[in-house]
Amino acid sequence: MNNLQEVWSKRFNHYITEVQKYMQYVFTGHLALVLVFVIGAVGYQYSEWLKVVESSFPAEWIVAVIIGFVLALSRPVTLLREPDQVYLLPLESKMPIYFKKALSWTFWSQIGLTIVIYIVAIPLIKTVTELSSAQIWLGVAIIVVLKYLNVHIEFNYRYANRGDSLIIDQITRGILSILTIQSALTLGYSYVIILIILLVVYERTLAKRVKVQPIPYEHFVKVEQNRMMGFYRFANYFTDVPHLHGSIRRRGWLNFVYSIVPNSQKSTQNYLVYRTFIRTDDHFYLWVRLTAISGLIALFVNIPIVTWIVALALSFATTIQLKYALLSSTDFRMDRLYPVDESQRKNAVRKVIRLFMVVQAIIVLLCSIGQPWFFVSGILVLLISELTFQMTKDPSNEY
Amino acid sequence: MTVLQLTDVTGGYTRKPVIKDLSFTIGAGELVGLIGLNGAGKSTTIKHIIGTLLPQKGEIRLNGVTLNEDLNRYRSSFSYIPETPVLYDELTLKEHLELTAMAYGIDQHTLESRSESLLKEFRMEKRLNWFPSHFSKGMRQKVMIMCAFLVNPQLYIIDEPFVGLDPLGIQSLLDQMDEKKKDGAAILMSTHILSTAEKHCDRIILLHEGRVRAQGTMNDLRRAFQMPSATLDDIYIAMTKEQDHE
Repeated sequence: MNNLQEVWSKRFNHYITEVQKYMQYVFTGHLALVLVFVIGAVGYQYSEWLKVVESSFPAEWIVAVIIGFVLALSRPVTLLREPDQVYLLPLESKMPIYFKKALSWTFWSQIGLTIVIYIVAIPLIKTVTELSSAQIWLGVAIIVVLKYLNVHIEFNYRYANRGDSLIIDQITRGILSILTIQSALTLGYSYVIILIILLVVYERTLAKRVKVQPIPYEHFVKVEQNRMMGFYRFANYFTDVPHLHGSIRRRGWLNFVYSIVPNSQKSTQNYLVYRTFIRTDDHFYLWVRLTAISGLIALFVNIPIVTWIVALALSFATTIQLKYALLSSTDFRMDRLYPVDESQRKNAVRKVIRLFMVVQAIIVLLCSIGQPWFFVSGILVLLISELTFQMTKDPSNEY
Repeated sequence: MTVLQLTDVTGGYTRKPVIKDLSFTIGAGELVGLIGLNGAGKSTTIKHIIGTLLPQKGEIRLNGVTLNEDLNRYRSSFSYIPETPVLYDELTLKEHLELTAMAYGIDQHTLESRSESLLKEFRMEKRLNWFPSHFSKGMRQKVMIMCAFLVNPQLYIIDEPFVGLDPLGIQSLLDQMDEKKKDGAAILMSTHILSTAEKHCDRIILLHEGRVRAQGTMNDLRRAFQMPSATLDDIYIAMTKEQDHE
């Protein structure tokens, strides 16, 4: 009996150490600084908006939909690994002990986000509705109950159906959760009780099916692998994650970009680096994400100095991360043997980054049109990017 | 004519050398087998020749120049097929060929004619637009082989070429090697498959604990080990036993 609990605690400790190892980079990284600015700016805008929001604003529905959506995504954290389907097989009947621990962690690790969203919405609820404080806080209790049910239902559903057509379950739970929260915020407590009973019945039905099924190790292992991959990819924006293999997509609609590379020995690295950047999800989405944040801030935050600081910080972040991603590599690649100048790689990386930073600058510029001195942010993006590339050290010289 | 010449090469990853005072040459039109146990120093020797490791002592001349004397000439004189295929996940088969052609300054016309026959030979014509993630180990190996032969250099360095290749693939590779040899190219091949080495190599270099234990034709080796009519397997086993007793 004890040894499965031990297995769980060992894995759990290992997992926490792994997460902590990377989280320290995330929180000390430059993007953390940007986030502080963004949160500050968004918070300011939110409080300004609360002063003018009309009482007809459908706050209950919006809060219910957002939280219901988040609740529907209650992916279990099982920490199962591939060899388990062989080594834990003889312990199948004792596995509920393990899963109980796993679901308890899933619940506690995910409940925070849901409650934070609700708490952020409280000033809005207070402004728009006439709920008393006690009624608002009762909402937190209802969300906790909903989260508990969502975690257990999603786990049982995945278990019983071996992960198939999960979307049906997610939509069902999403709708029930949305309706429950909406009812709670409009004082329809009898509906709340009915809806929760429905969810409990749903949970019990699935639990019965789970009892007669073998553990779907393959599915849970895949879920775990995807989750860890997601985490590593996220951490990879802040630091170099060694065991990360970025996935590749053709992105054929960007093929036209390659035609700017002339067919000559001097352009060998250009040929390679353009494709590496565009087709590697890690690199490409890094640029997309930071460009999107920069653009959205420029679009919605009407305080020029904040837009500028964000544009500048994100230009720095994009450039330095792409420079590192494309220039530093300890792995052997065939182009190390090519009879071309060693400086070609660096020049090619500079060209690709310059091209995509011009695009970022144009996007930010277009998003800031209408603001005073709107052209400043675009110029800042270009200037900071060039300076960053020029002044930071060359990671390829480290090896 | 000597294509590759190693003179007293000592080197390794750290200051402690893995290969010691290695000397051998490979001439034009010659296929030389580099044979040795795991850890004998075959891969280290190859890494020194391709220039990813620099010798601590001695020198390596390819086409008459060392890497330091003329980097581009040195590098364009050889192509390398590593033991484990190293491909770009983000490039299709066609793009691997195009990139290689570009890097070695091969014009469009030559690229087309050479890749057409290589693709046919290795039965990969239908996979031109595939990414390596969809390739089996053998297919990945074939991409490396095709890129190497596309370059048509003076020296081919081939590390464990037969692992993962299907019998047809092995035959195609041997045919290609034969053809290049006839055209005057030198080939250095490291392998564990001794029967194939014995059958195809003009000369054998037996590497043991970082040193050349013996080298020459099969007859030279038989004489050196005083084992007339021995196969390469026999000689190889005798060599390892002899060293165990020392």
